[in-house]
Amino acid sequence: MPLIRRTPDGVQPDRPDAGEALATLTHGTRQKRWAAARALSDAPDAAEALGRALSSEDDPHVREAILTSLLRLRSAASIQAILPHLRSDNASLRTGALDALRAMPDVAGPHLPELLRDADPDVRLLACDLARSLRVADATHLLYGLLEVEREANICAAALDVLAEIGGPEALPVLARCAERFHDHPFLAFSIKVVTERLSAQTPRHRG
Amino acid sequence: MTEEEFRRLCDFLYRRTGMVFTEAKRYYVQRRVTDRMTATGATSFPSYFARLRGDLNGELEQFINVFTVNETYFYREDHQLRCLTTDLLMECVRAKPPGEVVRIWSVPCSTGEEPYSIAIWLLENWPQVDAYDIEIVGSDIDTRALEAAREGVFGKRALMRLTPDLVAKYFVPVGPEQWRVLEDLRQSVRFTPVNLVETGETRAHGRFDVIFCRNVLIYFDDASRRLAAENLYENLLPGGYICLGHSESMSRISPLFEVRRYVDAIVYQRPPGGARG
Ligand SMILES: C[S@@+](CC[C@H](N)C(=O)[O-])C[C@H]1O[C@@H](n2cnc3c(N)ncnc32)[C@H](O)[C@@H]1O
Repeated sequence: MPLIRRTPDGVQPDRPDAGEALATLTHGTRQKRWAAARALSDAPDAAEALGRALSSEDDPHVREAILTSLLRLRSAASIQAILPHLRSDNASLRTGALDALRAMPDVAGPHLPELLRDADPDVRLLACDLARSLRVADATHLLYGLLEVEREANICAAALDVLAEIGGPEALPVLARCAERFHDHPFLAFSIKVVTERLSAQTPRHRG
Repeated sequence: MTEEEFRRLCDFLYRRTGMVFTEAKRYYVQRRVTDRMTATGATSFPSYFARLRGDLNGELEQFINVFTVNETYFYREDHQLRCLTTDLLMECVRAKPPGEVVRIWSVPCSTGEEPYSIAIWLLENWPQVDAYDIEIVGSDIDTRALEAAREGVFGKRALMRLTPDLVAKYFVPVGPEQWRVLEDLRQSVRFTPVNLVETGETRAHGRFDVIFCRNVLIYFDDASRRLAAENLYENLLPGGYICLGHSESMSRISPLFEVRRYVDAIVYQRPPGGARG
């Protein structure tokens, strides 16, 4: 029979304790850093260190492990550790941070208002995307608020994209005002028209 | 069980296994806890919970065993098995020095139907089966299920997708509507306990060419899915493959894998090459 059965090679499990893990998180081989990140997934005090390590980590696999540990900690501290990376220059880190926030809607949700008001347009753009998955009760209203003041057309477009899914007919006046502000912006005007049509079509159902 | 006790128990279970139970599953949870309380003679929830947390008389293992959903059968989603023999293994062995073992991991394997199916499928459908040494490992968190897997006795329901020819060839009848996997075949699959969200436990299994991780991630939340996926990434040789259940998708879990679309199945690959290894 070609099927064989072996006893394991005795791969040594590499599980440092929390103290050791904090020390190796940013040093040593990729393998050591990965094991350290993983070992900290149940060390509530490690959130800040994990967040700092994200800034210097350039291996995508270790980065994912750090984000997963922060996710697993699921605390206010882990949110604080992740938020700054929404501003990272590294696109994959930004996306990773966004994905992690998305996976903790309960703790990330309360930060949505401040993210939608952030001075950095890139952060506001990501925040629109976050609004889609957080399903925060008042996400629609936050997005309406954004549409009233936002100057960047691409951010309005992102918000519209989300509102097309979660918005209701009460958005119509907001959309009309936004269309007026961006009347010289054909692409956005078109998006607004599409969303307006979709949400108007909902009206009878909502009334009924 | 009070609201708060229910929440603490579910959190405990989640931290240990990755499995998520919400309020909607309250009845399911409650019934199992009551059973364990009766079995251990605990008179109140707090006293049972203390015993559980202290892992008195191995209670943790018994507790986890009653919460798992072990549903499985032979040749489940066999299009993936077809993909294994038409595409995946050819790619794996291409890069292998002669004499090296091809390793396949069925995790979770539940009561063994999946790893035995892999073995039978290979013997039946992989022309090169004699040219390589193939090691199949089946692992699960549920030690009761593993015991049954080692026993290798199955009923009609588990065998429903196998042709009578295959049943006759690889099983012996051992009772009314009961069949046992041939001794040789049973001996060729190794069964081991593993907790997918515990890196120490997954790592100890070494590296594989192909991992079947089907129908378990559906019981996890995002954080546990990521833990499991990242652990399994470590268990793959560069270029190795992972097959998930039909309702599961790695794209929504981890960006580390590459999606590979074959005629028979969509599978996920650890990028070949040592750079990220
Ligand atoms: C529905 S069965 C899947 C069996 C087989 N893979 C299939 O698709 O037919 C799910 C199995 O996952 C196992 N399981 C649940 N949590 C686990 C964990 N954290 N680690 C390993 N196995 C786990 C359960 O014990 C159960 O046997």
